[in-house]
Order: sequence, then C-alpha cells, then structure tokens
Amino acid sequence: MQAYAAKLINLIESKAENIAKQWAADVMKHNRTPSYHSLSKDLVVEQGVNFYRLFRQMSLAEVPYEEAKSFSWKYAEEFYQQKIPLHEALYALILMRRHLWLYAEFQGTFVTALEKQQAVESLNRTILMFDYVSYQVTEKYQQLTHERVNKKIGVVKTFLMGKLIGGMKNIYKVAFMSVLLIAACILTYYNHTAGKVVVFTHLFYIPIILAAVWWGKKGMLVPILLAIILIASHSIFLKDAPFTDDVIRAVMFIVLGGVVGWLMDSLKKLEELYQPFKL
Amino acid sequence: MMKAFASKLVDLTQKNADKIAWQWAKDVKTNLKTNSYHDAPEEKIINQASEFYKNFREMFFHEAPFQLAEEVFTKYAHERYVEGVPLHETVYAMILMRRHIWLYAEFQTIFSAEMEHRKAVESLSRTILMFDYIVYIISREYWKLIKMDLSKKEGKH
Repeated sequence: MQAYAAKLINLIESKAENIAKQWAADVMKHNRTPSYHSLSKDLVVEQGVNFYRLFRQMSLAEVPYEEAKSFSWKYAEEFYQQKIPLHEALYALILMRRHLWLYAEFQGTFVTALEKQQAVESLNRTILMFDYVSYQVTEKYQQLTHERVNKKIGVVKTFLMGKLIGGMKNIYKVAFMSVLLIAACILTYYNHTAGKVVVFTHLFYIPIILAAVWWGKKGMLVPILLAIILIASHSIFLKDAPFTDDVIRAVMFIVLGGVVGWLMDSLKKLEELYQPFKL
Repeated sequence: MMKAFASKLVDLTQKNADKIAWQWAKDVKTNLKTNSYHDAPEEKIINQASEFYKNFREMFFHEAPFQLAEEVFTKYAHERYVEGVPLHETVYAMILMRRHIWLYAEFQTIFSAEMEHRKAVESLSRTILMFDYIVYIISREYWKLIKMDLSKKEGKH
C-alpha cells in the first residue's frame, strides 16, 4: 500500500459504519437528493458501508478501474430499482466522498506539513476512484434504462423482423412491389375473365401488408391501387355480377392497409425512443 | 482567504486556457471512455473547454457557484444532448476537463514548496466542489431532456 494513502484508508476502514451513518443522515434530508428521503435507513447505510469497506480493495488493486466496477454496478442496480434518478444517485456519491473527507479532517488526520502533502496525494487518489465510480454508475444506469426500454418495445424489433424485411433497400422494395402488383393485375384479369370472383383476392393482402410494413401510412397507395384494379376489372368483365362483394373486399384492402400502416408508423416512432439510451 | 490560497491555480488556468483546452481536446479525442468526441471537429471541442477555462475564475470565486454553474451548464448539457453524446461520456469529458487543470498545474509545479501544500488542498477542494455541481447539473439536465423527449414522443401516439 502506498504510504501516503495508508492513514486515510485505515481510518476509513475502521470507521466505515460511522462515516456511512453520517452520510446517510445527510443524503436522507439533502434537498438535492429528495428520492433518498423515503428510503429505508438500513439500505442507505449499507451502501455507504459497502463503499467505505471497498475503499481499501480499490486502493490496493493494480487496476482500480476494474475493481471499482463491483461496487459501481451494485450501487447503480440497487438505486435504479429504487427508482432514484441518476443525478440524485450521483450527488449521493459526491456526498459519500465529501463525508469521507470531512471525517478525516474532523479527526485531524492531516496536521503537519508532511501530512498536508500526504493529504494532497490521498485527495487525488480518492478523487480518481470517485471519477471511476461516477463514470461506471452513469454508464450502468444508461445500460439499465436501455435494457428496460428494449424489453418494453422488443415487440417492435420482432414485428419489423430486423433486416430481413425492414432493412431491404428501397429500390428493391419498389421493384418487388411492382412485380406483386403486376401479378395481382394478371390474377384479377385471369379470374374475372374466367368468371371467378373469390379466393384469389386473399393473395392481395401480401402486397398490402408488405407496403404497410415498409412505408407505413404512405403504403396506403398499394391497397387503393388494388381496390381500383378490382373494381375496374369487375365493371369491365363482370358487368352482370353484383358489385357488393368486391366493394366490401376493396374497402377491406384500404382499411387493413391503413390500420397496419398506422401501426407501423407508431412502432417506428417507438423505436426512436432508443436514441437517448444509445450506448 | 480563499482568494489568496487559490488565485495561483485560477490565474494559471485562465492565462493558459487555450493550452489546457488543447491538451484536454487531445485527450478526449483518443480516450476510450469518450468515443463520441473522437470524430468531432477539434476546433469545436477546444472552444468548449477554452470557454470554460476562461470563465473558471468567475465560477471559482462566485458567492453562489451553484447558481452560476446552473446558468452555464444547463445550456452545455442541452447542447451535448442534442449532439447525441451519451451522458456517461459527457460526465467523463468533464472529469478530464478538471484533471487537465490539475495536470497543467502539477506540470508547472505551482505547488512545489511544502508551505504550498495547504494552498493545493484548498484549491483542489474548491475545484472539486465546482465540478461536483457541474456533474450534478449536467446529469439533471440530461434526465429532464430524456423525460421530455419520451413524453413528447409518447404523446404523438
């Protein structure tokens, strides 16, 4: 252990509980940490003790950054679960460091000139550790928020089917849709000239749903076009047959295309929620 | 009293604001914990730090540093948020900003004599206090912006 830090570390370790209690009393009434006011005192004190006891371990470690992670992640997870906002969790950490130092000053740990020099070294070391912890706690909070959002709107990604359907280049989508529309025209022509009016129109839902997934409400153009093709073909080739069924089918194309398109637009907007939590 | 103790550090920081800002920029542009700064234009990020170092004196000796920090860093947080810098990187960049003040001071050996260690402790404590406020204000502003963004987006549905 470095000589300069030994004095402070020994003091912290032996008085961990005392310092933690002072910190808890402060954080549980401080106006910048209101979410801590209603927490159980035991939980808060425990966090303080955990940190102050870990202080030695972190000071001894060759890579204190890695050593700090065990504390930081636990601290972040526990307070995240308690719905403590990040800025309050960070401020509580700041108070944790201040109380450590206040206690050391109060005990008159650094009095002589040599001890003052040691104080500078110890202070630098303490700050470095808190810098790591602040960074790790912030990062962990962001990760936890990201995971929660991800879980809540995971259905979006499933629905968009990742790159398979959603990620295709627009030019290919247009080309593929044109092929499907031409096929729909041929099918309609073939069936109507043969006098058939059922079954084949169910296949129209394939381009309708694909258009809605790809282009959202803008994809409405496809069901409108298919509805026009169906009605126009009916009026040319099936003049004597009643229009009712095909009109209902045409209306259903538009309604379904509209609903799926609106849903897809909403889901895409939801996906934008990821942006603030990008890691 | 504080003025006498700390003016050495503050004077040095203000006088060499551009140099310290340049060193900071070099650090954030390569540091593994500040990825978002790597591709940012150097001039732009130097200006961010340079402005801060130049105004360091005002904040350092202000009677209500929290209020002053609130004015300056609410805007700073807003700008970084809009640029898409994740909070942990913004916080780490601030930590580096503070470290570079100290590194420069150490490099210049301004607190070398034994008598000066007391000044060093005082200056260091005051500097840390400023940055504690800044980190708190930045994270609070990010939190507000994220919440605002979420409710705005949710409201559209």
